[in-house]
Amino acid sequence: MSTPLLETRGVWQRFGGLIANSDVSISVGAGEIVGLIGPNGAGKSTLFNLIAGVLPPTQGSIWFDGKDVTHMPAAERCALGIARTFQVVKSFETMTVIDNVIVGALIRNDKMRDARRKAHEVLEFCGLASRADKLARDLIPSEKRRLEVARALATEPKLLMLDECLTGLTPLEAQSGVALVRKVRETGVTVLMVEHVMEIVMPLVDRAIVLNLGKKLVEGKPTDVVRHPEVISAYLGDRHAVGA
Amino acid sequence: MDSFTQRRRRDLILAAALAVIAACVPFFVKDVYVQNIMVLTLMYAALSQAWNILGGYCGQISLGHALYFGLGAYTTALLFTKFGVLPWFGMLGGGIISALIALALGYPTFRLRGHYFVIATIVIAEIGFLLFHNWDYAGAALGIDIPVRGDSWAKFQFTRSKLPFYYFALVFCCVAWFITWWLEDSKWGFWWRAVKDNPDAAESLGVVVFNSKMGAAAVSAFLTAIGGAFYAQFVSYIDPESVMTFQFSLLMALPAVLGGIGTLWGPVLGAVILIPMTELTRSFIGGSGRGVDLILYGAVIVVISLARPDGLLGLFSRRPASKGVPQ
Repeated sequence: MSTPLLETRGVWQRFGGLIANSDVSISVGAGEIVGLIGPNGAGKSTLFNLIAGVLPPTQGSIWFDGKDVTHMPAAERCALGIARTFQVVKSFETMTVIDNVIVGALIRNDKMRDARRKAHEVLEFCGLASRADKLARDLIPSEKRRLEVARALATEPKLLMLDECLTGLTPLEAQSGVALVRKVRETGVTVLMVEHVMEIVMPLVDRAIVLNLGKKLVEGKPTDVVRHPEVISAYLGDRHAVGA
Repeated sequence: MDSFTQRRRRDLILAAALAVIAACVPFFVKDVYVQNIMVLTLMYAALSQAWNILGGYCGQISLGHALYFGLGAYTTALLFTKFGVLPWFGMLGGGIISALIALALGYPTFRLRGHYFVIATIVIAEIGFLLFHNWDYAGAALGIDIPVRGDSWAKFQFTRSKLPFYYFALVFCCVAWFITWWLEDSKWGFWWRAVKDNPDAAESLGVVVFNSKMGAAAVSAFLTAIGGAFYAQFVSYIDPESVMTFQFSLLMALPAVLGGIGTLWGPVLGAVILIPMTELTRSFIGGSGRGVDLILYGAVIVVISLARPDGLLGLFSRRPASKGVPQ
């Protein structure tokens, strides 16, 4: 693998006495779909937010596309090509669906007309075209998740970061969500997704990185990762690991 | 042409039609008292439109816009009485000074969120009031009497007729409306609405939240100061009590809140209802009823926030006022 698109080098994050991430080094290559998984409280969301630029790490550095972005604000990272969705959806509730997406499109389009055209394309791509003129607050939850993805895609990212965007959906909705993520990757966008529901992500991702108690536990092919004794014990407790 | 472009074109045509009607009204209404109310209504419609840019679109509720109003009034009056500078330049100068001060104040206060920001705006405006109240050069508590030098457009003074003020207020109102209309479909307009609805999401989409707020504050303060400069010429006497009190801050915010906050037509609709109402009650009840207009504002706020949080414009939309049930 040549230089990775995204790399964290020895990242630590402390919140007072709590260590949310300790010495986490991961890398994501261009064109990959990488799953960041782990049980609740493993530090997935913290690492995710460090990469997105919500807060700087206590220690360590984050590199994107060959640049050190450790202390770069979120908006600038977006301009570089990092886009994200939120675990708890953060739609612009009083704006229409198309207007939500236009906000994202404006970072690459100076003219309103171009931004609007781009936004329509993205809505079409995400299967939300028929909802364009609805207010975001009138969407059903699965549509709101799609809107999060659409808005992020409108920024024309190199790396799309999905924070549990398939969690809490009905099996059918999750299926079409998975199809959408595949479609996104086909357009050349790298995907890093946080999930804690293994069944959904494992068939989808090329590589899985497992966090537990703030540390990187294992990484590798999803089929290998799920059989790894340490992963099983992290999820199910030691008793089950012995049997494996 | 999509529905969006159609709506914008419709708004523009409606605005032009209303402006023409408003321009014709003085031919039929000769009563000076009523004309006076019409001037104030147009002025507050414009001021509220200016307030709405920061408070409505960008979601930064300011209850201290009297500061910018007063700065516009004082800059114009001081430049004219001390240096003989024509009010038009004073107006422009006041606008620029207000915009700069809004930026300077925004630098610390835009780090505050929600109620803390609102409180900061009230306190800062109060400080401004006290400064002018004690500033001898600017007449302190006595204020500034703008000397009458005869009716002229150059000096923007008219003693015999209110009509020139009426037409200026009308143009001011149209300009403020048009700026808002134009901003609605601009990068800034979209950034502001995104910042209002969810600053974290906006930031993640490349919107620099802080700069967006600063931009809104500068435009809003500039326009508000133009209104202050106009008011100084209109009443030809200003003191801190008459241009910088909290009441003015409220009067700029309320029409927008009443009509529909963050909407294009809200401030105009709100001003047309609220300003005549308060002026009329004030004159009917007279000296004994001082403060009744304030009670009215209070009542309006309570009723609106309970019954129509979206403002009166919500009555015309098909959506229910409260959070709708997803279909």
